[in-house]
Amino acid sequence: MKTVEHCSNITATFCDLTDVWEVLSETYAVTVDGFRGNTTLVTCFIDFFLATHISLEPPEFDIVDFTDHINVHVNFPPVMPKILDGKVLQFYLPLIIEEQSGGIVKKHNPTLDENVTGNFTYVIDNLLPNTNYCVSVYFKHRNLEEIHRSPVKCTLLPPAQDTGSSESAKIGGIITMFLIAAVFISTILILKRVGYICLRNDFPKVLNFHNMSSWVFPEMPPLEAVAFVEVIHINRKKKVWNYSYDDESDSNDEAAAPLTNTGGYTKHGLVGGLLGPTSASSATWEDRLEPDTEERDLSEPEADTDPLMALGTNPGGSECTSGAYEGRGKLLQDPFSKEDSSSTEGSGDKIIFNVNLSSVFVSALDDDDSEAPPASPSFPEETYNLEDSHRLETSFLEARGEGTQPPFPTPSAECPWPEVVLSDISDSSESGVDTGDGYIMR
Amino acid sequence: MSTKPDVIRKCLQSACLVGLLVTGILSLDCNLLHFHLRKVTWQNLRLLSSTSSSFPVECLRETKAFELPQEILSHTQPAKRYIKEAFYEMSIQAFNIFSQYTFTSTWEKDYLKQIQIGLDQQLQYLEQCLEEEEKEKEDSKELEEDGMNWSGALVPQLSNLELRRYFNRIDNFLKEKKYSHCAWEIIRVEIRRCFYYFQKFAALLRKK
Repeated sequence: MKTVEHCSNITATFCDLTDVWEVLSETYAVTVDGFRGNTTLVTCFIDFFLATHISLEPPEFDIVDFTDHINVHVNFPPVMPKILDGKVLQFYLPLIIEEQSGGIVKKHNPTLDENVTGNFTYVIDNLLPNTNYCVSVYFKHRNLEEIHRSPVKCTLLPPAQDTGSSESAKIGGIITMFLIAAVFISTILILKRVGYICLRNDFPKVLNFHNMSSWVFPEMPPLEAVAFVEVIHINRKKKVWNYSYDDESDSNDEAAAPLTNTGGYTKHGLVGGLLGPTSASSATWEDRLEPDTEERDLSEPEADTDPLMALGTNPGGSECTSGAYEGRGKLLQDPFSKEDSSSTEGSGDKIIFNVNLSSVFVSALDDDDSEAPPASPSFPEETYNLEDSHRLETSFLEARGEGTQPPFPTPSAECPWPEVVLSDISDSSESGVDTGDGYIMR
Repeated sequence: MSTKPDVIRKCLQSACLVGLLVTGILSLDCNLLHFHLRKVTWQNLRLLSSTSSSFPVECLRETKAFELPQEILSHTQPAKRYIKEAFYEMSIQAFNIFSQYTFTSTWEKDYLKQIQIGLDQQLQYLEQCLEEEEKEKEDSKELEEDGMNWSGALVPQLSNLELRRYFNRIDNFLKEKKYSHCAWEIIRVEIRRCFYYFQKFAALLRKK
């Protein structure tokens, strides 16, 4: 134990032992005895480890403000305790300079020399002119949480004259530019409203640059294969297939059949001359490929009166088993194949056309004006071959294929059979073809 | 009854702590070793100084000088590897000494637990860095056959012996005093002093 001389026999309640401390690493135990006369009244003992209990009062400092920086002059005591060297201060008691402005605190940790004595100047730079800054200095103790700060010193930095003038000039220039641009734009708008300037929104196509690529690189026209075409003019007379029973219709061969297309089906109006003695007579046929009864409406009025086709096997020409098919009945046109040479006699009366009778339904086209229906002879039914008629009916039914009312043969004296020669006749139909006197049956 | 969620939560917490510890250790950078050593040593210093009771006056008569090695006390610049090895030796010895401490109160128990945890972390960090240095040395062993390396390698061994002897003296003192309260107080002060010097020692690792 060592007695501190300058702290012995004192009446003060405190004593400075700073110079007594030698080594920071040691633990110092201090005993304080209080006497009254020769009587010991109190004995106090305490120990402490300086490294973890050392603290320093904040030093005094001054600040000098400039436009954009502040100089902080820290006043250290002339003699530092020997226990506090540079290394100790740097680690155990680092000096902190706080700079505060606008609620933002910035701490600076200046590096101190080992032998720190006298004044110490630290520069806080990169500051904003014309701004208020507050500075505080203290030693930050590593062990203690409380910080003993020095009194805060605040200052308002002077405005930067040079930078201010340049900035004001810049601001003025920018404002001027904005004003000029505003005036210019407003002038244009006014002129446009007045009509002095007409600004078109719809540009001509030439000026349409949306499809720039196509404009710059125009699309080449597709290469077209050019082939030489030889145009052959064929003069053809329009054939009118007019199966009328008038003599005036001698030009039946050349008459063109009216061709109508309805629903994918082709209607051919068959116009041709009649076989037999009255070969000049002709009947108007309407060859229908489409078994639709509705399409018969066109030929209904005509079909009522004209006898149509040979329905019986009666070889006799007098008995016409064909009758006028009234109403809406479909008629299956038996192939009017004319193998006789009579077909070749009157070429003008012969009409040759290719018809697939398996899909052809022929209906009679009544022509009231064109022909005078011949007086139908009395036609005894007994002469009617029931067997053949029955077969005919079945054949009609087969050919028709639909539930249309089978045509009933009605007698007529002279059947104005058109002399229709079918060049291409189906085999099935050829088997039953019997070209009698204009009668064709299957 | 929510025992299962609590158990699961605790398991998860411990697993997370272990995972963080493992990742923390694995991700340690040996270039920052000196920061870690200074930090842990300073923490232990503060813990040893945070005891509520002051040093007993009656124990002043039993104090003893344990003679910390001069290499630790001096401010010369030893080899960095020596510093690391010294730290490693000190951490192991201090850990063993504090393991023998008989806790008299709860706060002492908590403080010493924290000190041991810090020393353990320090040991793992040092092991990792020393192994890395060993690998680097083996790679460059064929290239460098300098006698200075061999002499340098001997120095740490001697210093470690001195350090080991220092801690043996401390251990013997405890055994002589039969782990009395005064003995433990004297040892606490001595180890705190040792930590102080090692903290200054760690600052030398930063210097090139």
